[in-house]
Amino acid sequence: MIVELFSLALIVLLAGTIFPLLAASSDRRVVRTISFSCIIIASLLLAALALQVLLSGGREFFTLYQPFPTISLSFAIDRLAAFFLLIIAVVSACVALYFTEYIEHMNGQSRRNLLCGCTSLFILAMVLVVASANTLSFFLFWELMAASSFFLVMYEYSQPDTRKAGIFYFITTQLSSLFILLGIIVLFIITGSFTIEHLTAASAPLVTIAFLALFVGFSIKAGIIPFHKWLPYAHPASPSPISALMSAVMLKIAVYGLVRFLLDVFTPDLWWGVLILAAGTASAVLGIIYALKEHDVKGMLAFSSIENIGIIFTGIGLSVIFTALGLPDLATLSLLGALFHSLNHAMFKSLLFLTAGSVVSATHTRDIEHMGGLARRMPVTSALFFVGAVAIAALPPLNGFASELLIFISFFTSSFTVVEPLLKVLLFICLALFALTSALSAACFVKAFGSIFLALPRSPESAAAREVPRAMLIGPGILAVACILLGVCALQIFAFVGFAVPLPDMVLVSLLLGGMAVLTYAVLYFTASREVRVSETWGCGTLSQQASAEYSGHGFSEPLDIIFSSIYRTKTTNERVFYDQKNCIFKEGKGEIRLLKVFEEYLYRPIALQSLKVAGRVSRFQNGCLDTYLLYVFITVIAMILFLGWFA
Amino acid sequence: MSVDFVFYLAINTLVVIAVSPLFVSLIKKVKAWTQGRQGPSVFQTYFTLAKLLKKEVIYSPNSSRIMRVTPLVTMAAILVAALFVPLVFVPEPVGGIGNIILFLYLLALARFFMALAGLDAGSAFGGMGSSREMSISAIIEPTTIIVFAALAFVFKTLNIFEMFTLNVSTGASSPSIQILIGISLFIIIIVETSRIPVDNPETHLELTMIHEGMILEQSGRNLALMELSAAVKMTVLMALLINLIVPFGLMTTLTLAGLLIALVVFVVKGSILAGIIGLFESSMAKKRFFQLPSLFAMAFFFSTLIIIIAVFS
Repeated sequence: MIVELFSLALIVLLAGTIFPLLAASSDRRVVRTISFSCIIIASLLLAALALQVLLSGGREFFTLYQPFPTISLSFAIDRLAAFFLLIIAVVSACVALYFTEYIEHMNGQSRRNLLCGCTSLFILAMVLVVASANTLSFFLFWELMAASSFFLVMYEYSQPDTRKAGIFYFITTQLSSLFILLGIIVLFIITGSFTIEHLTAASAPLVTIAFLALFVGFSIKAGIIPFHKWLPYAHPASPSPISALMSAVMLKIAVYGLVRFLLDVFTPDLWWGVLILAAGTASAVLGIIYALKEHDVKGMLAFSSIENIGIIFTGIGLSVIFTALGLPDLATLSLLGALFHSLNHAMFKSLLFLTAGSVVSATHTRDIEHMGGLARRMPVTSALFFVGAVAIAALPPLNGFASELLIFISFFTSSFTVVEPLLKVLLFICLALFALTSALSAACFVKAFGSIFLALPRSPESAAAREVPRAMLIGPGILAVACILLGVCALQIFAFVGFAVPLPDMVLVSLLLGGMAVLTYAVLYFTASREVRVSETWGCGTLSQQASAEYSGHGFSEPLDIIFSSIYRTKTTNERVFYDQKNCIFKEGKGEIRLLKVFEEYLYRPIALQSLKVAGRVSRFQNGCLDTYLLYVFITVIAMILFLGWFA
Repeated sequence: MSVDFVFYLAINTLVVIAVSPLFVSLIKKVKAWTQGRQGPSVFQTYFTLAKLLKKEVIYSPNSSRIMRVTPLVTMAAILVAALFVPLVFVPEPVGGIGNIILFLYLLALARFFMALAGLDAGSAFGGMGSSREMSISAIIEPTTIIVFAALAFVFKTLNIFEMFTLNVSTGASSPSIQILIGISLFIIIIVETSRIPVDNPETHLELTMIHEGMILEQSGRNLALMELSAAVKMTVLMALLINLIVPFGLMTTLTLAGLLIALVVFVVKGSILAGIIGLFESSMAKKRFFQLPSLFAMAFFFSTLIIIIAVFS
């Protein structure tokens, strides 16, 4: 049953890929709609399958293609895979629903058909990565995922920004693949097989190398600082639904890879956990601090993805630490927190990216300083974005809070179960930073929602914005409902799939919240004056309120900018020229505050320059002369013979 | 849900609403005395709230639904948060009510809405208040969470109800830890309720105000709700401090006589703490905004000290 459903979903997705490519020359809406319908149908099939596996808890193994006895494309769907399949399915369905309308407002005529096909291929690749039962097919589909997402990012290739982002993305994603390949090869050397199975042959240094390679590979793909730079480039450049898919799902595939290898292959050491925890905490804090500074709405969401991936890694790191310390209950709790946050982040981040896409297509700008006043012009979109903002700011009773609470609880509980003092201090530091992260994300999303939707419009485009068509509201609408349900019913959902977690009963809390609101309203209704007047309020003596006098997004984050100025590394330069010699009467001058791109200038650029230098040396071997190449072949053959003669 | 718990919901909500305006006025009274003034009556806040309820509400034409729902949401969130800290009577916790992290985040929920409402009308004052409030709340957060983690560590539970019960039944923990918890919680009260040296609750001057700036656009019954919710929040945080440090009088089984005694004892203890807050405020000058991080660093130091002492003792 599972196998049939899975194959059917794959065939439907394949049809969704091939059909628009066949009809590539006809710029007709129906072609694209059929392709997206394929995605939706496949998603429904996958969701049904995933739910079945999640609830029954079995493991389904099957082989698709086996050219050699040891090499095969085989798949296994267990609960972990099913969980991530569910994430892919839900997000893909909602994104496809949204995309059917969104794509009609995009430029590119029949080229849009290719976009549909690639989207379908991208989803197919992600499904296959998650379902892979051996490292070989894992890597193969990982590469397919990387390649198809590259095409998606490059859709608007005529823009120089997009080209730069695309190439940057391609290089980092290939770097990630390279590390994963290294990890897979080292694993093959240790075990002699490609299957994902528990390591029995212990050879410590090699195992460590394999873990580190895989960890770096997955971190690059997940956008862990300092490998994060591709996210804030690629997300603003690509179409919003694609950003939603990449941020909400593709990053989770990297999380899946890490969790899969940690659980099924390795027996982690304590320091691995500390490493993952440190990487996660650093990404969480720095990600949100950078997000605060960003005024490109999609760039801001990209940085916030880095933060959330950091939170997920924090959970995974805690889980590894607790496993190594022999605290299985806590380890399960924090892993559940990490996985639940993956699901929740997929929901609210795709919701935010989709609604941000609506806003961008309505205002034709990505700069939040040129928005404003959209709450009255786009009421439904603003309500949907608001749900996403509350969820991502980890406020009760929505889902972002539920998963962060799980991680908080494991931090708190660890304080009286972990014995080693040094580790305890480390955990407390990470806890403090973790708390800082969620408070800053609340500030960040107050700024985002306030600048985009509240007060007066700050540009003519924003003033002329209209609500988007209904099809672009249904997809995000489903996600918003999911955000609310996952938060309110978190305890019940965990109980349903068979985990007892120490979460408070959020249904009760929500009922109390609602009850208190109703009670307050009732008391006011009977005791207070009911008069309401809409009228100009005090605007500091101005005759009418100007949009230019509003608090802007920059202004909003200015205090935090100053407090965290050591992290932002801004460079302030000012030159002043005076009329007199005592520097009293000012003539002219200019000042500039420039944000240093720390990682690019101090990490990426030196590495890139070094590798260019090395490449320059290596390229000397390649002189285009046939004799030289023959010489190389000759030397290689001799070396092979000698090598085989001595060692074989 | 037991009958006791339903009683608890009613008692706690009524008590917290009834006594919180008193504490606000008391602080004002103490501050007036130290300045050599007579000061308003201790019931002035009740009169102000009653007056505000009679006034009409004015909305700016630029404001959206956020402005209209914020007072209700804020009040509801703070009242639910108030249920997490028993004032006079501690029942058995039900369904995770009393979780200390959820308590903190309910306060954050209220703050989130308040900050958005500050931005809603588009006035520069409101935006300034929101921006400062969110900044301050973000940088105090690590301290708050460490204090709460220290509480969880000392009492070996995450539930405020259980902490209180433990405190009443087994007596207080070591005095050094108690003093440190007291200092840390006191700083948190000062910061969270916008008092000097962090914020000045008295003025509407653009240089000093944070919380008042945020609610500048509110009027009529909405303003009454905002004022009352701020007062309730302060009372709840005070109750957390009081019932952790001097749990004397706190009731764990429900009786009418016990309830009355506990109420009187709580009001007395709360008034003393309000007096201390008033004196503390009078003895301080408002700090410059960007000097606040160093104040918070001090609070952070005290809270980590609790943990270090508790870990190594």
